[in-house]
Amino acid sequence: MQIQRLLKFIGFDAGLIRRISICAYEAEMNVVMHGGDGELRLLVDPKKVILEVADDGPGIADIDLALQEGYTTALPEHREMGFGAGMGLPNIQRNADSLEIHSENGQGAHLIITFESGSS
Amino acid sequence: MLDTLQVAEPLRYVQINESRCNGCVLCMKACPTKAIRIREGKARIEGVCIDCCECVRACPRGAIQPITSESFDLTEKDNVIVSPSTVLYSQFGEDVLPNDVLLGLKRMGFGYIHDQSYTSEIFNLAVELYIKENRERPDAPLPFISPVCPVVVSLIAYKFQSLLRHIPPLVTPREIVAREGKMRLAARHGVDAEAFKVVHITPCPSKMICMNESILQNHSYLDAAIGINSIYEELKNNIQDVEEDIVLHHSGGIGLSWGMSGGEISGVDLNCLAVSGLQETIRYLEKIEMGLLGDIDYVEFRACTEGCLGGPLTVMDKYQGKRHIQKLVRMFGVERRVKHGYVKKLYDKGWFFTDKGPALKRKLRQRSPADIAKGIERQNRIEEILRLLPRKECGACGCPDCVTFAEDVAEGRSSLGSCVFWQDQQKG
Repeated sequence: MQIQRLLKFIGFDAGLIRRISICAYEAEMNVVMHGGDGELRLLVDPKKVILEVADDGPGIADIDLALQEGYTTALPEHREMGFGAGMGLPNIQRNADSLEIHSENGQGAHLIITFESGSS
Repeated sequence: MLDTLQVAEPLRYVQINESRCNGCVLCMKACPTKAIRIREGKARIEGVCIDCCECVRACPRGAIQPITSESFDLTEKDNVIVSPSTVLYSQFGEDVLPNDVLLGLKRMGFGYIHDQSYTSEIFNLAVELYIKENRERPDAPLPFISPVCPVVVSLIAYKFQSLLRHIPPLVTPREIVAREGKMRLAARHGVDAEAFKVVHITPCPSKMICMNESILQNHSYLDAAIGINSIYEELKNNIQDVEEDIVLHHSGGIGLSWGMSGGEISGVDLNCLAVSGLQETIRYLEKIEMGLLGDIDYVEFRACTEGCLGGPLTVMDKYQGKRHIQKLVRMFGVERRVKHGYVKKLYDKGWFFTDKGPALKRKLRQRSPADIAKGIERQNRIEEILRLLPRKECGACGCPDCVTFAEDVAEGRSSLGSCVFWQDQQKG
């Protein structure tokens, strides 16, 4: 919500803000469920916005698999609350203009999500 | 057209009585658009006011008053059509029925009395028709947002412009009553429609916006809005011992329930949600702006908690009023009294549409990269100033919170020296 307000205040288009907010929310949920401690950084430029998310969790074992809709490693307790449906990363990929994932097992996950202004 | 909507300084329907204001921070803290500042020990409205009256409620000294059409001349009542908000029916206790209230108005001398609750039921069906017709479109702005509460419409126009296209371009029941009342009388008497004046009896001053600068329509048929509290005593005296066989009230329980939160959607046979209270409304508008709630067809927002019953110009406490309305709903039942075919015919004739054109065609101006660069620069300045502030959110500087203060400093409206903590730090 804070990201949403900030970007709106700066004057970005509502469609772009919507895509960024969705990605920030999904990435945040991933950190909460899997990542342990994490950091979310927002880099803002008139032409593009970059959302960087890094955590010190177990990392992503198979990135291609994690990008498939429905694939999940969430715990049953997360799924009971309606999260962990295997839609997080696919949803980020769908809403972003580009997505880079750096992760090695045991080394945490590092996402670089880029949005082009004017491409909503 | 709304696509060229400029954020002009709107008129305000609250005023601050400076002799009563002692410059405390309560109104400033309560204002959802952060429009109030304390300057030289007095509250001033400097930003965009949406007439929600949160400041009126917050002021312990009664220094802030809503403005309505108090100067409207009511001595000549013959040509006046009076059309009360359905909230009026909840104000006189459980033994007074809607028809008694309407007869009381007649005894006060008003020429014509028009009940709004029946038209509200007609409006419910028009909303259904509009949404069923439009929700399957690929660009359908779901959920649609009720056009009824003027404060919510102003809030969207000034703070959530991307959601303007979610508001169906339908004329509200109060405007339909005013328009049809004038047109029919004019036709019957063979005179100009403006020979008749429509006075709306209202629980809030935001109806003044509809009359004078409506966002959703060009022309309003309302001539005056008068607070329930200002006619209350006289009307109460006229309600007693009313024994007349005239039926002025025709609606069922659905139309009568419009004054309370959830009342409007109780008559809409779709996937609906009711939200009341300004803070909750803002929270939900933010969700919709994020693309959530797309599985819902229609949201009824009311700026006042519990709906119009909680309006600042009511007399009865909102929860007591709700109790009376709920009793009326049980008494009159919730079956529809309006015929679908009749409403469909009116709908196809364009009876319900505003004179500003379809909402779906509205598009907002895109901001250029240069605008955004300026925005980023401004944000950087604000964050620089914020790092100097203690974030105590005290309001002693005359701004509602530290972020707003930093914005004001960045734009030259306040000076950093107004922060007592910053000053202390400079000395120490």
